[in-house]
Amino acid sequence: MAFEKHIAEHAQRLAKVKAMGGPAKLKRLSDQGLLNARQRVDYLFDPGSFLEVGEFAVSDRADAKDDTPADGKVTGYGRIDGREAAVVSHDITVKSASSSPINVRKMAHMRRVSQSQGIPLVLLNESSGARIPDTMGAIGTGTLGQDPSQFVRFRENPYVSAVLGPAFGTACWFSMLSDFVVMRKGAQLAISSPRVTSIAINQHIDPEELAGARMHQEVTGKVDFVVDSDQAAIDMVKRFLSYLPSHHNELPPVAAVPAGSDDAARGLLDIVPEDRAKVYDVRKVIAAIADTGSVLPLKEKFARTAVTALGRIEGQTVGFVASNPLIKAGSLDADSCDKITTFLVLCDSFNIPIVLLVDTPGFLIGVEGERKKAPGRVMNFMAALQMCTVPKFSIVMRKSYGQAYLNMGGTRNTDEMLAWYCADVGFMDPNVGVNVVYGVTREKEPERFQQLVDEIRRGSGPYDLASIFAAQKVIDPRESRSVLARLLQVHRKRPSRGIGKHHLGNWPTTF
Amino acid sequence: MAVEKVKSEITGKVWKLIAKPGQKLAEEETIILIESMKMEIPVMAPAACTLKRVLVGEGDDVAEGQDLAEIEL
Repeated sequence: MAFEKHIAEHAQRLAKVKAMGGPAKLKRLSDQGLLNARQRVDYLFDPGSFLEVGEFAVSDRADAKDDTPADGKVTGYGRIDGREAAVVSHDITVKSASSSPINVRKMAHMRRVSQSQGIPLVLLNESSGARIPDTMGAIGTGTLGQDPSQFVRFRENPYVSAVLGPAFGTACWFSMLSDFVVMRKGAQLAISSPRVTSIAINQHIDPEELAGARMHQEVTGKVDFVVDSDQAAIDMVKRFLSYLPSHHNELPPVAAVPAGSDDAARGLLDIVPEDRAKVYDVRKVIAAIADTGSVLPLKEKFARTAVTALGRIEGQTVGFVASNPLIKAGSLDADSCDKITTFLVLCDSFNIPIVLLVDTPGFLIGVEGERKKAPGRVMNFMAALQMCTVPKFSIVMRKSYGQAYLNMGGTRNTDEMLAWYCADVGFMDPNVGVNVVYGVTREKEPERFQQLVDEIRRGSGPYDLASIFAAQKVIDPRESRSVLARLLQVHRKRPSRGIGKHHLGNWPTTF
Repeated sequence: MAVEKVKSEITGKVWKLIAKPGQKLAEEETIILIESMKMEIPVMAPAACTLKRVLVGEGDDVAEGQDLAEIEL
């Protein structure tokens, strides 16, 4: 047979690539119920669609060429639900998927191609960090950072990360740069490993406290979703991408509308109590307005006074931003501002209209907030909303007071502002306002206090707002979905074919 | 089994104790109602757990960050 020698050598080399770090290390993963880097890629992409590139790349060190198949990072292209995407899947069985001059070159290629071709970049992250000894000494360290645009993003295409094991160094950096991060329980995400950190600062380090999923989910908010398995994490990557366009000059895909999606909105009067002293869970309001089963909450356990969620109305992707009266009465704190700002950046970058649902007594004021730079964060959030060029709608459900009224889309900060007939808008909660303005307290002068509360409350209703056209419409809560659906048909930004200006494309998402 | 404290997220007054020690709670099930800002705000289980002890009584003033209950995860 012609080329017999070549065919045999090629097959032998391919087999070595597919063998990864060897059977013992692969078995260790499967014994833990984990997928290896190649199984993850297979699970991510439509069957038969994966085109690997860089499989014959190996370490540039003579003593490591034979035991670094694909140099520890599996890269290539495949389709997710029929749409092209690029992938970097870190192979923990090869030198702990550590970053080397060669595999960093592979990553840079995937970034460049995904950006220039307008396809999402999926990062299946697991790495011990920079490879030793490659990066030791001045020459090793001086070899790093050959790509001066490595950490720059303009959000032309989505970056989506799954943290599926120890993710330090580059694996951590790119998780931080991603538009969405899902983390498997038991994985770790930090600058350096607990061992290195412990040695460096000479302290015992609890791995979960330093780098665990719960810490990121509840404290840092740098992880959007936590799941139990590799498969669930990759399913979540696919689900997130189903809401997004492949690149910033494209509209998000339109999904089929599940039957019965109009039913739940009719029950909104049962979700929101008429008694203003009673709280409710705004997530139920979002679920009732959105297409059935379409809501994907992001950072659900972080800064819970605010809810940020992707969802669909009549099949069209929408970003919901809501204050949640269930938590701290819906008062927005410094972390909530960051959470919302990050979400606005996402929506604006990928042409996703924004719906704000408002029931908040205002920003949470206090010493802790000031120490956490709350005023700066409020203004970041405000500026971000004003700079968003996607369609923006807000609905005042019950309370909307003070600066939070503006931040949550009040007056001209959204394209159309609606108010439920039970809305209440003013400079601050009347119960606080009476004391601030008149110095009267309920304890000392209960009758006068109530009289002044009623006085302030007069003139703070939705029809007062509509009378100066600060609200475009006063609606029955049950009309929320149908009115939003109509507004989404009107607000299509036809002159730019629905594409926004992406002023927030280069904003950081850690403040 | 890890024992954790449930803290108040807000300053206010304990209005009602809802759950009883020994009770198994689902994630986000209400343990206590706090009255703050003229609203009844629930203190909820952060995860599925068993309520071990309640550390406050009805009518008590509570500060943000104060321990309210002990749970076993």
